[in-house]
Amino acid sequence: MIRPKPPWLESLFPWKQKAIRVNGRNMAYIDEGDRAGRPVLLLSGNPTWGFLYRDFIGPLAEAGFRPIAPDWVGAGYSDHPRVDSALTMAHHIADLVSLMDQLRLRDFVIVGQDWGGPQGVGAALQRVERLGALVLMNTWLFTGLLSKFHLSPRPWRSWSAPLIGQFFMKRHKVLSQHGPSALSRRGMNPEEARAYHHVFDEPDSDHVVLTWPRTIPMVEGDRGWADMKSIEGRLGELKDVPTLLLWAPEDVVFPIETARRLKELMPWAEGPVEFDNASHFLQDDRGPDLARAVVEFLERRPGVRA
Amino acid sequence: MRWTTPAAEELSYLRADPLLWEQELDARPEVAEAIERAAGLRAGRVYWRSEHDHLYALELADLGRGRPSMAMVYGFWDRFEPRPPEHEIDADLLAFSLWVAEVGGLGPEDVAKVAERAGIVTAWPEGSVVRTPEDRFAELPGFAHLPRYVEVEGLRMAWVEQGSGDPILMLHGEPTWGYLYRHMIPPLAGAGRVIVPDLIGFGRSDKPLAENAYSIKSHVRWLRQFITTLDLRRITLVCQDWGGSLGLRALAEMPERFARLVAMNTGIAAGQSRGEAFLKWRRFSQRATHLDVGRLMSNTLKLRRPTPEEAAAYNAPFPSADYQTAALVFPRLVPVRPDHPGAYDNRMAIERLRTLDLPVLLVWGAEDAITAAGEAHLRSIFRHVSPTQWVAEAGHFIQEDAGQEVAARILEWMK
Repeated sequence: MIRPKPPWLESLFPWKQKAIRVNGRNMAYIDEGDRAGRPVLLLSGNPTWGFLYRDFIGPLAEAGFRPIAPDWVGAGYSDHPRVDSALTMAHHIADLVSLMDQLRLRDFVIVGQDWGGPQGVGAALQRVERLGALVLMNTWLFTGLLSKFHLSPRPWRSWSAPLIGQFFMKRHKVLSQHGPSALSRRGMNPEEARAYHHVFDEPDSDHVVLTWPRTIPMVEGDRGWADMKSIEGRLGELKDVPTLLLWAPEDVVFPIETARRLKELMPWAEGPVEFDNASHFLQDDRGPDLARAVVEFLERRPGVRA
Repeated sequence: MRWTTPAAEELSYLRADPLLWEQELDARPEVAEAIERAAGLRAGRVYWRSEHDHLYALELADLGRGRPSMAMVYGFWDRFEPRPPEHEIDADLLAFSLWVAEVGGLGPEDVAKVAERAGIVTAWPEGSVVRTPEDRFAELPGFAHLPRYVEVEGLRMAWVEQGSGDPILMLHGEPTWGYLYRHMIPPLAGAGRVIVPDLIGFGRSDKPLAENAYSIKSHVRWLRQFITTLDLRRITLVCQDWGGSLGLRALAEMPERFARLVAMNTGIAAGQSRGEAFLKWRRFSQRATHLDVGRLMSNTLKLRRPTPEEAAAYNAPFPSADYQTAALVFPRLVPVRPDHPGAYDNRMAIERLRTLDLPVLLVWGAEDAITAAGEAHLRSIFRHVSPTQWVAEAGHFIQEDAGQEVAARILEWMK
């Protein structure tokens, strides 16, 4: 169903990759720990996959949780459809809802970074009675953005612009082949960089890295605007859900102002707990520390029970 | 054949967001009409503008400068897949594609072929559906009727019947089955052919295991197929709880088959927020992994307590939690927000119901917080509503609390 894992990846990412059919496509995921444990969905963003959470799997499983790390359709080991319209926010959300339904998850925890935030929360809102807790890291849940990064002509606006975006993203593969490794604070070894990049090896398989930026709802009418507005408008429904913000303030994509804005929208959230020496891909830079913080939070705040 | 369709540029502004399309179509009836024409349908006649079908119809209009081809059918799947949240039903897409094929004069076998290639499930895969063993129904106090079966979309749907004449179709809701009507079947059988089906996922009917097999849309589809397969006409619809929510949709979509409506402790939600009692039940049910229906009945009934045998009869369809997917899913299908899947369809259905002339009787258990608002809502929708028959002290499951009395009041009204 999904492409086999190459031998060189085995030592870095030893967990068994499973596949589930969501809305007609294969979604890859790992499902570790105690099946009866509380499910913790580890959601990555552009252009990463479950590999980003490799430091979380062990600690969560050891603490009795059930870490589940899916790869979004279009990314990682999931199917890489070549059509733009299969990769919108609504579709990613539908895919995750389907996974949650099929695995019959109850009292689940969403851990989301980057697109893992809106897509994870968007899916959780579809199954809001089953959501147990929420952990957000360097992400956003509102229309418009606060960072200079997304407003500056370089690199961001040119990366996602028509034609020029195509040139940067597809021809030069700025994100799919040079994203996480270029931003890494701790210095990534070539094997690790390869783990992020090899999933886009096949020609034209990196569609999603361009669809995602083009789905960011900056002004009304943008693709994704209605979905994000709907999520933003429903955040109040989560007021009884234990929520934690973990943040890398050095991230240029989602600076600390983003966390403050989230805090305004979700005043019940704990944090933001700041982690220095970390980039946008903070799970890679400070994985073990973040995993510890998540475990501590979930054990301290067992959440809303039926 | 060349359809009159809006130019591609005219449609392009509709593409930003499906919710906006909806508004645009409402604001520009000429576009909506052109699309309807393009889809080969007479405007206003056919019920295609439901939930997401109009997206496909737009596609059809956009692509279709000629007869629909299999490439186009394939195109729908490719472009609008995955489907929007909570609406992941292959059967729905297949039903629509078969219709497109019919409009275009294509063979259904071609649809099946393409469906297979696209990974659309046209049959229930091995092990995806469970059937409650017959011996679970061996001891049913007061319900000796012989079960009958009909097939809908590859699923076995069960019903019992008694009497003859025009059909009296009685629909149960969550989380019960036809057994709920046992006190009402014999008296009403004197007035017509009483037909009591079990909804898919309940009673003796087949039970798909996947949560996403169940949606308002799929339940309505199954119910409509039940009605057309048995070719029921001049129906007196008697319904409660989800039996009403679904039955009213069937009534709206095929009104020519119905003669009367008796609604009891039910409602058709169109996106309004619901009361605290419902939200509590919804929250409880969505976290639950198993429902003890006998105990739930015992806790909910107001005028009597079920005997242990009766409680067991309510649990009979569910040997284990695996059999309860439909029951566990139902509460979250209630459209509690305007953007909830099903809210749009229900709003459309309500508009259709407002135009109907059939006589309506509301029989309501007065002690039911969950459907308390439903009575006034339904009374506001229909034109010919008799004075509401309140059954004092009866609760949500009025058929169980006061079945004999309810049957007597219905009989009196039918005369």
